[in-house]
Amino acid sequence: MGLKFLVVDDSVTMRRIVANSLKNLGYTDLVEAVDGKDALNKLAADSSINFVITDWNMPVLSGLELTKAIRSDDKLKNLPILMVTTRGVKEDILEALQAKVNNYIVKPFTPQILKEKIEQILSAN
Amino acid sequence: MEKTQMNMTTLFEKLNDLKTLFQYGEKIVPIIKSLVDFMQDTVPLLENINHSITDSASKIPTASNQINNVTSATEMATTEILDLIDVISANLEKMESINNSALSQLNEAKSGIATLKERLKNDPQSLQILENIEKTFSIESNLNELKDYFPKLKNDAYQITLSLQVQDITAQQLAAVNHLIDSVQKRLTSLINDIDSSDFEKGLPKIDVPSGSTFDGNASYSKNNSKQSMVDSILREKSEKASQDEIDKLFS
Repeated sequence: MGLKFLVVDDSVTMRRIVANSLKNLGYTDLVEAVDGKDALNKLAADSSINFVITDWNMPVLSGLELTKAIRSDDKLKNLPILMVTTRGVKEDILEALQAKVNNYIVKPFTPQILKEKIEQILSAN
Repeated sequence: MEKTQMNMTTLFEKLNDLKTLFQYGEKIVPIIKSLVDFMQDTVPLLENINHSITDSASKIPTASNQINNVTSATEMATTEILDLIDVISANLEKMESINNSALSQLNEAKSGIATLKERLKNDPQSLQILENIEKTFSIESNLNELKDYFPKLKNDAYQITLSLQVQDITAQQLAAVNHLIDSVQKRLTSLINDIDSSDFEKGLPKIDVPSGSTFDGNASYSKNNSKQSMVDSILREKSEKASQDEIDKLFS
């Protein structure tokens, strides 16, 4: 089964940049969500989504809360989660890892980092 | 008689006290007067301060709205740039495909000419015509040069896309500024309410400030990858520790 990405970010700019980067890497199958709650709805509606790329700071439900919600759901708990955020202090990184994100990118990201992190997650899974 | 003398002594003492009081009063009256003058001068000053604070506080929602407008405008402009980059990338894709197809047709024509030259090797006139046609194939080097440009142009367009991440980062910085402005307004409003009991706050337009969880006040646009290096080093440490834990579990 191919990869189907869910790109979660409240910024339309960032959603498009991540989507463009994924397309450049050859991943064309993707769905977008504007916040954590929207992401959970999309995940509930589409079981073929098998990779989540999420921002941290979002209204309604943050990326961290989304991660916790996914990890506590029996059906979704094994979904790979890559966090892409501006938050780059040690405490934040540790908090995200504690919430069990699979990997973490600090914005602004480069395509090389995105590729590397996706491949790291896929090879670990 | 003695009693009368005592009363007189007390009276003189009291009169002396009164005299001292009057003398003291004579000294203190000018001080009180200058204090009253000072207070009278201060009242317009305090009114002025109150007016300035009221004025500043009432301008804050406008400043905040202007910041929100800047964020919306940059987001709109960024979307337009991204749309244009998509169009440019799609056009580059088409041009590359046309160029590749022209190169492939040229190769077919070259191969056809080579076959004809072999078949017509005893016909100098035809050979000359074929050689003249072959000269027009110099366009091949131009087409090959163009072929090298397409990936570069597509990559440049993509790099512009990546640089537009700055919009999201500045939007978060502006949201943080709006939060600061909001807290300044709250302080000023409370100060005004302390000076003037009228319900000043009710007259102010509401500031539309996003909640603290929707932005990162420390967001910064930097090509320096020290933050990412820190992430990677923490991840490495965690993964090494996890591996060691797994090994320890196996031996326990």
